[in-house]
Amino acid sequence: MDFRNCTVGIVDYQAGNIHSIQSALEYLGAGPILVREPGALMEVTHILLPGVGAFGHCAARLQASGLAPTLERAVFERGTPLLGICVGMQLLADHSEEMGGSDGLGWIGGAVRQIPAAPAVRVPHVGWNDVLFEENFGEFAQGERADFYFDHSFAYHDPRKGHTIGSCQHGAPFAAIVRQDNLVAAQFHPEKSQTAGLKFLRSFLALQRPC
Amino acid sequence: MLKKRLIPKLLIKHRQLGPVTRPVLVTTVRYRDIREVGDPVSQAKIYEAQFADELIVLNIDGTPIAGDETMLGLIERLATETFMPLAVGGGVRTADDFGMLLARGADKVTINRQAVTEPELISRAAERYGAQCIVVSIDYRTGMSGRPEVFIDQARTPTGLDVVAFARDAYERGAGEILLTNADRDGGGEGIDVPILREVADSIPIPVIASGGCGLAAHFTEALAEGRAEGVAAGTFFCFRDQNPMQARAHVRTAGIPIRAST
Repeated sequence: MDFRNCTVGIVDYQAGNIHSIQSALEYLGAGPILVREPGALMEVTHILLPGVGAFGHCAARLQASGLAPTLERAVFERGTPLLGICVGMQLLADHSEEMGGSDGLGWIGGAVRQIPAAPAVRVPHVGWNDVLFEENFGEFAQGERADFYFDHSFAYHDPRKGHTIGSCQHGAPFAAIVRQDNLVAAQFHPEKSQTAGLKFLRSFLALQRPC
Repeated sequence: MLKKRLIPKLLIKHRQLGPVTRPVLVTTVRYRDIREVGDPVSQAKIYEAQFADELIVLNIDGTPIAGDETMLGLIERLATETFMPLAVGGGVRTADDFGMLLARGADKVTINRQAVTEPELISRAAERYGAQCIVVSIDYRTGMSGRPEVFIDQARTPTGLDVVAFARDAYERGAGEILLTNADRDGGGEGIDVPILREVADSIPIPVIASGGCGLAAHFTEALAEGRAEGVAAGTFFCFRDQNPMQARAHVRTAGIPIRAST
């Protein structure tokens, strides 16, 4: 597939591993740009919301950036496909309990909770784990399993019914991929997941804004 | 199910070539006997093609990472030319250094000396960037006493700290992973120090990566099974032997340990 007509706006709110995702998108020919001003969000064909670090820190940075209201309009009024990665996914929940608790954007509902450690279940959850696709998503078919790279201590639970399209298990099950129409988010790092990760990014880039 | 990890370790030294400083890949034996191997980026690409699960990149010159464009440029190139997880360390002194490395493409940052001299840095970095990106790298030697002791400065300086107690303290301060290396076994190929690995892994609930001593594919399996490591890191084994991560992976898989398929 050819992504030369894509312009992916990577939301640069000083809370993410931007270099890696930018490289992966460039490799796919998808023309990423870094977005620090709201205006650009209304012009791009796709939006990428990264996030590394503590949830509260990322949520505060996103609010301080002044980008959140335009992000909401681009996604809900304009229908621009958005991909949240790692804490960028968790920000779509109503709330996270990390460090005393903070509110998220609440776009897909649900809560972010600490993964409980247990014998043979070490936390953080670091490494390659298989995701079961519960629905078709681009190049992935329902029922397919693929290994992706995870690196997190908190996990997404109870998004709105029917919105978990990929699940994973570390001790208990959690939502690895959530989707609501043009809004997609993954707990793992597709930009670090070699061939499966590139396949996932291609599947996202194939989503298009309605004309 | 979470898979165990096989992790090539890229040890880097700075080498002056005329007006430019280049990062060169080296291997060591007992942290001495440095041998140059070649270009770290080419080697990383080979490891990626061989389905390595992650890379550890360590500057062993003992120079600060801040302002070191040779190392920072290398990390950026690795993150541009490969799509695999990177843990980076060597010369990390401040919480800002963590942020800088993460922005350049690292996923995790390892600290060694600073975890001993300024352990508060562990909690400070964890609060800002999350425990999942804080790796405390512990080098140890077993001296006369028979008890393993933490060493720093390329395992030259003893600290008087007990390995198990120090690993526990690092976890309590917010470390998300321990890279545990027996410096006496570095580059020797006689096998991982399984009893100490097991003792550390059983005393903390975070992942422990074992390193130092892999000479046979069976050594990986021992560290993952009896040693309860989440991953095994190796430098010399993958660089020089007629062995690669795919062969080690096959051995681990045959032993019934969950590991990513080479597909």
